[in-house]
Amino acid sequence: MNTRRHFLRSSSALIALPMLESLGFRRFVSAASQTATPPKRMIFLGFGWGVTRESWYPDKSTVGTDYELPKGLAPLKRHQKDITVIQGLSNQFNNEAHWGSTFYLTGANRYAEPGQSFSNTISADQVAAEVFGRDTRFTSIQLGCENAEGSGHGPGLSLAWNRQGKPIAGLNHPVAAYHRLFADDGTPLEQRQAMLKDQRSILDTVLTDAKSVKRGLTKTDIDKLDEYYQSIRDIETRLSKEEQWLGVPKAKPKDPVEEPPSEVAGVEEVKIMYDLMLAALQADATRVLTYRQPVDSFIRGLGATITGHNMSHYQPGMRMEVSEMRDRKQSELLAGFIDKLKASKEPDGSSLFDHVSLSYGSNIQSIHYLDNCPTVITGGGTGVKHGRHLVMPDPKTPLCNLWLTLLKGSGVEVESHGDSTGTIDELWS
Amino acid sequence: MRGFFASFLVVCPLMLPASAAETPRAVLPERHAAVLDKYCLECHDTATGKGGIDLESLPLDLGTIESAETWQKVLNTLNSGEMPPEKKPQPGFDEKAALLDDLSARLVTARKLLSDTGGEITMRRLNRREYENTIEELLGVEVDAKDLPADSGSDGFDTFGSSLFFSSDQFEQYIALARKALDAAIVTGPKPETKIVRIEAEEEANRRIRGIFRGYQKQGYVAWKRWQASKGKPTTDFGFPDDKEIEFRKLVWDRESPDFADYLSREETLTGAFLTVSNPNPQVGLAIPDEAPAGRYRVRARIGVNRAAKPDPSRTFVEIGFRGDDIEGAIDLIDCRKINAPMTNPEVIETEVALPPLSRPLTVDVGSQTKKKVTLGERVIAFRQRLPNNRDAARFLRYESVNETGFNTEPALWIDWVEWEGPLVETWPPASHEAIFFKGPEAGKTDAYAREILERFATRAFRTRTPDPEFLDSLMAFHQAETKAGKPFEEALKKPLSIVLSSPGFLYLKESGLGFSPNAEDELGQKSKTLTPAELAVRLSYFLWSAPPDEALLAAADKGTLDTPDGLERQVDRLLADERAAGFVSGFTHQWLHMERLDFFNYNHRLYPDFDDSVKMAARQEVYETILNLLRRNRPLAELLKSDTLVINDLLADYYGIEGVNGPRFREVKVPVDTPRGGLLGMAAILAMGSDGERSSPVERGAWVMRKLLHNPPPPAPPNVPQLSRHAGKLLPARELLQAHMEEAQCAQCHRKIDPIGYGLEHFNAVGLWRETEYTEIAANNRVRQSKEHPIDDSGTLPDGTKFDGFFELRDVVVSRHESFARGFVEHLIAYALGRPFGFTDQDLADAILEQGRKQGATPRAYLHALVQSEAFRRK
Repeated sequence: MNTRRHFLRSSSALIALPMLESLGFRRFVSAASQTATPPKRMIFLGFGWGVTRESWYPDKSTVGTDYELPKGLAPLKRHQKDITVIQGLSNQFNNEAHWGSTFYLTGANRYAEPGQSFSNTISADQVAAEVFGRDTRFTSIQLGCENAEGSGHGPGLSLAWNRQGKPIAGLNHPVAAYHRLFADDGTPLEQRQAMLKDQRSILDTVLTDAKSVKRGLTKTDIDKLDEYYQSIRDIETRLSKEEQWLGVPKAKPKDPVEEPPSEVAGVEEVKIMYDLMLAALQADATRVLTYRQPVDSFIRGLGATITGHNMSHYQPGMRMEVSEMRDRKQSELLAGFIDKLKASKEPDGSSLFDHVSLSYGSNIQSIHYLDNCPTVITGGGTGVKHGRHLVMPDPKTPLCNLWLTLLKGSGVEVESHGDSTGTIDELWS
Repeated sequence: MRGFFASFLVVCPLMLPASAAETPRAVLPERHAAVLDKYCLECHDTATGKGGIDLESLPLDLGTIESAETWQKVLNTLNSGEMPPEKKPQPGFDEKAALLDDLSARLVTARKLLSDTGGEITMRRLNRREYENTIEELLGVEVDAKDLPADSGSDGFDTFGSSLFFSSDQFEQYIALARKALDAAIVTGPKPETKIVRIEAEEEANRRIRGIFRGYQKQGYVAWKRWQASKGKPTTDFGFPDDKEIEFRKLVWDRESPDFADYLSREETLTGAFLTVSNPNPQVGLAIPDEAPAGRYRVRARIGVNRAAKPDPSRTFVEIGFRGDDIEGAIDLIDCRKINAPMTNPEVIETEVALPPLSRPLTVDVGSQTKKKVTLGERVIAFRQRLPNNRDAARFLRYESVNETGFNTEPALWIDWVEWEGPLVETWPPASHEAIFFKGPEAGKTDAYAREILERFATRAFRTRTPDPEFLDSLMAFHQAETKAGKPFEEALKKPLSIVLSSPGFLYLKESGLGFSPNAEDELGQKSKTLTPAELAVRLSYFLWSAPPDEALLAAADKGTLDTPDGLERQVDRLLADERAAGFVSGFTHQWLHMERLDFFNYNHRLYPDFDDSVKMAARQEVYETILNLLRRNRPLAELLKSDTLVINDLLADYYGIEGVNGPRFREVKVPVDTPRGGLLGMAAILAMGSDGERSSPVERGAWVMRKLLHNPPPPAPPNVPQLSRHAGKLLPARELLQAHMEEAQCAQCHRKIDPIGYGLEHFNAVGLWRETEYTEIAANNRVRQSKEHPIDDSGTLPDGTKFDGFFELRDVVVSRHESFARGFVEHLIAYALGRPFGFTDQDLADAILEQGRKQGATPRAYLHALVQSEAFRRK
């Protein structure tokens, strides 16, 4: 009886979106850095296990504006003129068929460091964050999901890897993301200042101990301990930022933002995360976001009884149906997210969508295929001429060429990224 | 002159391994050059170098990163069938397979060579398991570290320092976790009262069941009757949105009411409760009230078997666990117990649970039907008949019976009452509290005492390293600030103590290697690398316990009796006898045998209702218990390959169809040698890992046998190999489906070795039960459209050509290769113990340990002793 009467409350309705014009703190920011044009933002979405290759990719013979979105992308139809589907991108070094996210934004070679069986390099989002993160409360925000391995993401804690090639932790639950972004515990300013001071003393204290641990260590061990130092430095940076932002309340939406339900999973979870991302952008809490999406719980939520890994090894039949259903549902949610980005108005009358660079894809194409990584980009922030289906002349064009293109297009001055060999100029022309 | 000599001595010990056993090189055999010459050089010679690939000058030695990368590309393009281009001449099947075979194997060697640490051990932080154990030893409190970032970087063990990272939020997580643990560990006030609360099962069950029954009646049947009688009035008049809805309610009534009416009409439900498959009584709940403090509790139930129903013996198990959000749904399983007594004279079962602190209000309104609030959630202990741990699967089982007979299956178990007792407190204040406040409750609460407390605690937390005075000064400043803010003495120490537990001295296992070993001949190289006795104690206890050293071990280190052959031997034996050794066995085995695969898939409940969570948990435990048993009894490692002894409990005995085993404890059970059980290849967990939850996978099983038993791992599954789906949707036996692997050289090169081994295990189904035929089906929405039984051919061939006719012969062949198995075991042991990948430079060490262990009976314990006695184990 419950099955039929199961009441699926749209949890996303709970997040009231902040109204830009009403944000007192936004004016504060504008006063500090008066910009006529709204800022650029970058969003990177990674979905782990690959897509259904038979029904997700447009026909390679139909390039340019005149092409049909196949089944897996069909829900994006209403945005077709604002999206670009690219084929022929891949990470030349990745041979790990279950690692959809580890090197997705980095293009690194796992074996690049002698004497190590794993290494990574900085991810594209963090390159952007170094520039775009200066003026916002959060330098960047990493969202994720529980059981990332089961969703085909591979090692890592989010899509993001820092300058040292070490994993950056993600917020793996909407509640955690909500708290980081919007919760205000109502602590008075004075007390918060005292808390910050206290946190600093804690850091100083552990660093005293770090100094004595460091005594007599080998070079390798000192490098290892440096990860601890780096963590402390990261917190210090965050605390300094928090201090700068102390007088500024966290983005206050017109209606109170409510906490997402804790039991949410799968489709609803993705929806809420998109809404939180949108709210974060509107409130200008951050300008760089990554999201390592759930696949395993996602398909379970769609009624599948198999795991994400089972699905990824699809063959015609039930598993392939699940895989295709997942492709469509994901596209549908993305389309909804684009709707909201378009509907969100900036003070100058343009939309948030006009200033965003959004990418959507994975390092895994399908099953165990790692070539032709599924890639969709959208948003007006990069100067890309959308509405086209692009098949790269070289079927092994580095995925990093796209990241370089998006970074440059968004105004990040960078000469190369990962194994990039240049920008994809066709995107702009 | 002296300078020259000195540097020679430094280098000498490092060179020793290389000089004894030749480090392999990753060189492609010369004969493949001809194949490349013939099919590739037209475009990829030095002059043309199409696509930037020049195979003419590419060295056959894969020993540099550049060369390995290029060869990786060659392998990938050959595997994907991209090269040679379609229009060009193609290499023959055999020459292509041979090239791919050698190339992929050499690449694995090259990767290993290139990532070899040369024996260097990277300092590591405590992994999650060790962190939990260490906190428990220090504070006597169980913490759940699953919120900390996952440890596994890539493949390998969670003891590898190089892949144990420290991310930016992690520090704050440590502070928070430590604070939570300290809140539980530091007690104030009087000893909490231990209560016993008993609930009669019928009181809990009948009101709930009657409520649901009346709900179906009033809002289903009665409403439908009135609507029918009204002759055409709109359903909205009766509070229903449409006709469909009211018809549906009637349907539900028709389907549900017989079981509910039947349940409530039975005499036995006046004095107790039947446990049914799903509704009407899926669980009897024992709610522990919100006021009850966290801690250890005992829960009991008086249960008997409904003998009149002649239940299948495998149904007479009761599962105990924390209830989830749904009374019909999954529980967080704690225990599964066999019930032997009849309901006319029930037995009392008892189990211990760790009650977590209350994290959120758990009282929810279950709806208008009951008009009463009941508690759902993490602090309700559920008792239910053993079932698939999944609401829909349980319902499916019930409806199978309802559709056939109109009723649910006869209940197998009856509960008289349930009760809880707790919190269980042995001493007050607890020992862990007293270890911190070492002067007792009467001590003066002075700053000097606070400083002593912090210093003693930090020294324990840092595993005997004394904290710097400067560090203590800072800690004291926190204590004083907290005191000034009005916090009582004990409370004011929590913050500085939590900082101690988030400091690098606690989180990292520091090994200075500054100890002097009396065994070292030279005073230069060796001395600077030898662990101090205390460091050795720490390495030993984290190896064999995944926990910090105890006082006896530290005392031995302090007295100088640890770092001697005798001393180490005594301590290893003592540590292995301790129950903490289970932490090593499960942690090591899980990773060594890749047992995470057991959680990769959902096992199809319709096809395999018996492989539920209780059996899965027991099956996993069987592997650990078997290895622990071998260790404790000092029996040969080869018994893991074949044995007449199983280590199982009543539940697994029932699963395997072995009689005469009573009780939940794992114990030795003798079986005839000609049964398939006995040895890893007959264990349900290992076999279930070799399936995808629906069908057995000869590929996964074959690869596992090669990796773990024969110590001949096939190269990792390559990317971009065309998927074979020609046979999809046909009812073919696995063996026939896999024949397709032989059609293409890129598949055949590996699968001709892997698959035939897997065929030998085809008499085991996807969940490790013996079968005479292979069942295949095409099903949708739990309905079988087509099915077929196939005879099983379990003969096969090993990569070296050895033939076997069926499972028993395969098992014997594997037994005959027990030395390879031992080598694999020892190599993994070295990697786990030293905290770094096993490298080519470790070959001599492995040889020495194998040799030494063989002399002592080739038992796991002998290998452990040999490893601990080795110079490598005692050096940084």
